[in-house]
Amino acid sequence: MSWLHAFWIVLSKEIREGLRDRRALLTALFFPVLGPVLVIVMLFLVSDSSRQAEEKGVEIPVAGRANAPNLVLFLEQGARVVEAPADPEEAVRRGDVPVVIVIPPDFGEKLRAGRPAPVKLIVDESRHQARPATITAEHLLAAWSSQVVAQRLVVRGIHPSVVEPLAVEREDVSTPASRAAMLLATIPFFLVMAMFTGGMPIAIDVTAGERERQSLEPLFATPVPRSAMVLAKIGASAAFGAATLAETLIGFGVVPLLVPSIRIGFSVQLDPGMLLRTFFLCLPVVLLAAALMVIFAARARTFRAAQTSLSLLMLVPSLPGMALAFQAARPAASLYAVPFLGQQMIVNELIRGSALVPSQALIATGASLVALILVCAFAVRTFERGQPLFDA
Amino acid sequence: MIRLDAVAKSFGQVRALAGISFEVPDGQITGLLGPNGAGKTTALRVVYGVLRPDSGRAFVDGIDLAAARLEAQRRLGVFPHAQGLYARLTAREHIVYFGKMHGLSGSILARRADELVAALAMEDIADRRTEGFSQGQRVKVALARALVHDPRNVVLDEPTNGLDVAATRQVRTLLRQLREQGRCILFSSHVMQEVSALCDRVVVIARGTVVAEGTPDDLRRMTGRESLEDALVAAIGSEEGLA
Repeated sequence: MSWLHAFWIVLSKEIREGLRDRRALLTALFFPVLGPVLVIVMLFLVSDSSRQAEEKGVEIPVAGRANAPNLVLFLEQGARVVEAPADPEEAVRRGDVPVVIVIPPDFGEKLRAGRPAPVKLIVDESRHQARPATITAEHLLAAWSSQVVAQRLVVRGIHPSVVEPLAVEREDVSTPASRAAMLLATIPFFLVMAMFTGGMPIAIDVTAGERERQSLEPLFATPVPRSAMVLAKIGASAAFGAATLAETLIGFGVVPLLVPSIRIGFSVQLDPGMLLRTFFLCLPVVLLAAALMVIFAARARTFRAAQTSLSLLMLVPSLPGMALAFQAARPAASLYAVPFLGQQMIVNELIRGSALVPSQALIATGASLVALILVCAFAVRTFERGQPLFDA
Repeated sequence: MIRLDAVAKSFGQVRALAGISFEVPDGQITGLLGPNGAGKTTALRVVYGVLRPDSGRAFVDGIDLAAARLEAQRRLGVFPHAQGLYARLTAREHIVYFGKMHGLSGSILARRADELVAALAMEDIADRRTEGFSQGQRVKVALARALVHDPRNVVLDEPTNGLDVAATRQVRTLLRQLREQGRCILFSSHVMQEVSALCDRVVVIARGTVVAEGTPDDLRRMTGRESLEDALVAAIGSEEGLA
C-alpha cells in the first residue's frame, strides 16, 4: 500500500465523517452568508445616511440673526442656517446641536466702526460627530472675514492679494464611495475567518475529538504511516475550509448584484474572474490554517480546550486584515511575505479593481508555502511521537 | 510469534516496565496476568507499536518494531484497552476502514466484512451508526476491525472487560477458534477465572517485570499451591489488584 493510497483512505474517511457532522456542516453552510449579509446591510446604511447628509447639507444654528443680516446671507450659501436653541451652551454640551454661532447686538455697530466685530462660536471639541458642522462654520466665518478684509483694502486702494500670501484651496474627497470602500476592505477579514471557521470542527474532531473518543489508539496500531495520517487530517480540515471560503466568495460575488453600483458610488470588482483568482491565491493559507488548527487541537487536553484555543488562534491572522480597512498608508512590500496578511493585502487591492501584481502574489504564495511545510513537518513529528496524543 | 526482549519504559518518575522479557508462541493463547498497574497495557502498547520503549526490543514474527514498525503492525490484529469508535460511521464502515488501512480492497474486503459480521453475530447492527451502541456491541465492532486483515498475531487488552456472561462466552469461543487456526494470541487480564479457562500459557507480571511464566499447571507446581488463584497470589506476593 503506497503512502498516497494510505493518505487517501484516511482523507476520504475523515471527509465522509465530517459530512455527517451536523455541526460542521451548519458552520460550513451558514458562516459564508454572514460576511456578505453584513457588508450589504452596512452598505445600505452608509449610502442612506450619507445621502441624507448630502441632501440636507450642514445645519448651523445661529443666535441673533437680525444683528448681522449680511453675514447670515453669506452663511446660507454654505449651510442651512436655523434658529439657535434658547440655551446654546447647554444645547451644544448635550449634543442637541453640533455648533452654535452667536452674533451679539453690538456686531453691526463695531463692524461699521471698523473694529473687530465679536462672533461667538460655541463648540464641543470632544464630540466627533460635531466636527463637520464645526469645520463648516469656522470656514464660512473665515471666508466672510477675508471677504470683508478684501473690500476694505480695495476701498483704500490696496490689492487684496497683498495680505494673502497663501492661496489655500481645500477639497474634501471623502464621498459615500470611499466610505463604502472602507466597508469592502473588511472582505479580506471575512475570507480569513471563513477558512478557519469552516475547517475548525473537523480539525478538532480528528484530533482532540478522536482522542476523547479513544479511537486514536486503534488508528495508531494500523500500518498507516503517521505522516499520511496527520496530513490526511489536515487535508480534510482544509477541504472544509476551502469549501467555506468558496461559498463566502460566491456570497460576496452577489453583493454588486444586490447593491447597485450607483448606490455604492463606484464599481466594485467582485466578478467571477476576480473571485476565482482570490480563491487560488488563498489556497496555500487555507492549508496553513488547517495545519495550524490540527496542531493546536492535537495538543489541547480536551475537546473544549481545543475549541477555546482555536477560537483565539483564528483571531491572530484575521485581525491585521481588519486593520487594513482603517489604514491609509501603503503597506511595506515585505509585509506581503507574512502569511494571511499578504493575501489579505492583495485581495484588498483586487477588490478596488487593481490588477494582480505577479511579484506580490509570488511572494505571498511562496512565503505561505514555506510556512505550510514547516508547520506540516511539526505536525508529522507530533504524530510520530504518538504518545501524548492518546494519553493526555 | 511475539517476543519482548528486556523492554523498559518509564513515564516521568514512574517505571512502568522494568526490562520485561517474554515470548508468545503460535497456536496458543497466552495470558498476560497481573494486578492493575502492573504494566500490562504498557507492554501491549509496545507490542503493537504505539509506544516506543526506552530500551529493549519487541518483535512480531521476528520483525523488530523499532526497525520496521509498519511491517510488524501489518501482522498484528489489535484490540486496545479503549475501544473508541467513530460515532458517525456504521459498524461495517469501521470494518471496511480498518481493512483498507491494512491494504485490503474491493470484493475481497467486502466478503471479509460479511464473514466477520456473520462470525460475530452482528447482522442486526452492521449497518447502524455506532452512536449509542452497548458495550457488548462496541466490543464486537472493535474485534471485527482488529481481525479484518486476518492477522497471524492477535493482541487483546482486557477483551472481556465490561461484558455480560453471554458476550464473554462469545469472545472466549472466538479466541479458541483463532488458536485452532494456529494464530499467536496474547491477551491481558486481571481476571483469574478467565486466564485459567482460556490460557495455554500464563505470563504473570507485577511491578513491570515477569514474576512467573508457564502453563497453569506449571504455575501450580512452581508455587506449590493447589488452586491457580493461590498460585498467582504467591507469585505476585500480594492479593492487591487481582479479581
